[in-house]
Amino acid sequence: MKQFVIIGNSAAGIAATEAIRQRDKTSKIIVISDEDYYAYCRCLISYYLAGELKEEMILYRSKDFYENNNIELYLNRRVLRVDAKKNHIVFEDKSKLGFDVLLVATGARPKFPEIKGIKKNGVFGFRTIKDAKQLSGLLPVTKTACVLGGGLVGLKVADALRKRNTEVKVIVKSKQILSQMLDIEAAHLLQERLESNGIDVILGQDVTEIIGNGDIKAVKLDSGKIFGCSMVVVAKGVSPNIEIIKEAGLKFNEGILCDNFMQTTVPSIYAAGDVCESFDITLGKTTVNAIWPIAVEQGRIAGLNMAGDKLEYVGSVGMNSIEFFGLPAISLGVYKVKEEERKAFEELVYLDRKAKVYKKLVLKDDILLGAVLVGDIKNSGLYLRIIKERIKVSDFKHKLLRENFGYLDIMHHLKEKENLYIHRSKAYV
Amino acid sequence: MKQLYYDIEKCLGCKSCEFACAVAHSKSQDLFGMIFEESLSLPRKKVLSSKGKNYPVSCRHCKEPKCVEACMAAALVYDSQNGMVLHDERRCVGCWNCVMVCPYGAIRPDLKTKIPIRCDRCKDKSEPACVKACPTGAIIWQEELILYTK
Repeated sequence: MKQFVIIGNSAAGIAATEAIRQRDKTSKIIVISDEDYYAYCRCLISYYLAGELKEEMILYRSKDFYENNNIELYLNRRVLRVDAKKNHIVFEDKSKLGFDVLLVATGARPKFPEIKGIKKNGVFGFRTIKDAKQLSGLLPVTKTACVLGGGLVGLKVADALRKRNTEVKVIVKSKQILSQMLDIEAAHLLQERLESNGIDVILGQDVTEIIGNGDIKAVKLDSGKIFGCSMVVVAKGVSPNIEIIKEAGLKFNEGILCDNFMQTTVPSIYAAGDVCESFDITLGKTTVNAIWPIAVEQGRIAGLNMAGDKLEYVGSVGMNSIEFFGLPAISLGVYKVKEEERKAFEELVYLDRKAKVYKKLVLKDDILLGAVLVGDIKNSGLYLRIIKERIKVSDFKHKLLRENFGYLDIMHHLKEKENLYIHRSKAYV
Repeated sequence: MKQLYYDIEKCLGCKSCEFACAVAHSKSQDLFGMIFEESLSLPRKKVLSSKGKNYPVSCRHCKEPKCVEACMAAALVYDSQNGMVLHDERRCVGCWNCVMVCPYGAIRPDLKTKIPIRCDRCKDKSEPACVKACPTGAIIWQEELILYTK
């Protein structure tokens, strides 16, 4: 019997516990969280803030999940460090907990820029249910809010605040919104949709100061402009929570480095989710892909391998899906090609501005590396599969962006051979 | 566990299955009632054609479903007892993560209702509507298959 310890009680942590239990019904599993909630759907806190979902609907697993799976859950416990030599972790209160195999799934936290006033009351990150509740609690007395950052989280917050009748300005340093996910054409389409629904977007400017004595009164931009507001949400990306392993001898860059088995450079320690840096198929190198689906995928592989399996991860592909006021957008892998590298890449583009449909595929030597889809997202999963399996698209490249492109066009190029289509002449039931 | 199979030599591409599917998932359960419903019921199945052959495509109910992994609302779950991917509409927020990752392109976003459209094998009926509707018997609903090749 082993003792599995999992630090982190969200996507990767839960996927890992389920995977361990799939193989090992008896060993001890301890899950540690620094929050005081059962696992919840972190990405749904903006829906909670918008008033679209009740609190009980954002629980990720039923309340008896831990008991049913014989998992010990430590809530509200902060881990101080990992001791890889002694195989134990140390909590903030200096108490220790031993492990045979450890999963670090500590996630990430919002980055706060070092500007004047950033520590004031009324400045929020947006990562936890606690953040959402605090924001929500202030809304009855808040008429205007500024969101710093035009990424996925920032825009989801802005959307939610707008739905709660708050005037919202989103202040974006880049020349476009969603610069980590979309190219400029796609960003324009979405920005239009946000603005026509009452969300102000200010591009190419950064906040230099948050003004107010006690309560927040305004933000000051680098252009000198001042916007009045009584609430500020900071959504300028996240950084992996790697502090607890910094002294442990594990290799790390931005995140904890993992091999294709989700194992760190110390064999008894695995990592998964937003804290880990693993191989990215389209970039051809390690990176942190901090999104929910990848956290679950990695957590599952880590869990199975922790329990003795030898399952290899093919690597991740950075991707995102969003929808604002009825306009959906998905981005996969390489979504933008640098000007100086244009020659090496090929772009296939379909654009219908009136219908708000934009599709772009990025290829190199007939290998699909990425896609941006706005308005029409239905074939996204097929593109992702082509990217992941690195299928040469030469034979069907001309069909890729057609309206009727579908599974059939790639079926014969896939590794998997399905048996649900029967050719009677060849086979008998 | 039962699976849907397709006899490609028999499929005419008539799309009767698509119609029957849309009707079976409409409120009124009736073609003429269906077309007047507020949000049009969409077929969970699509017949695609290539080189003169027709292939109905719908959710495979994968044993290791990528859509379930990707679902950030835990609205999609895998029911191992019945070998099916189930969807809880009350939990779904329409984030389209499932559409983003489905390796068969078998989930379509219904932008009006914000619900992903995918085959539920007509689980509350005696057999899937597409099976009943197929005029040539090309859709086969039977226990999982062992293939004997000549």
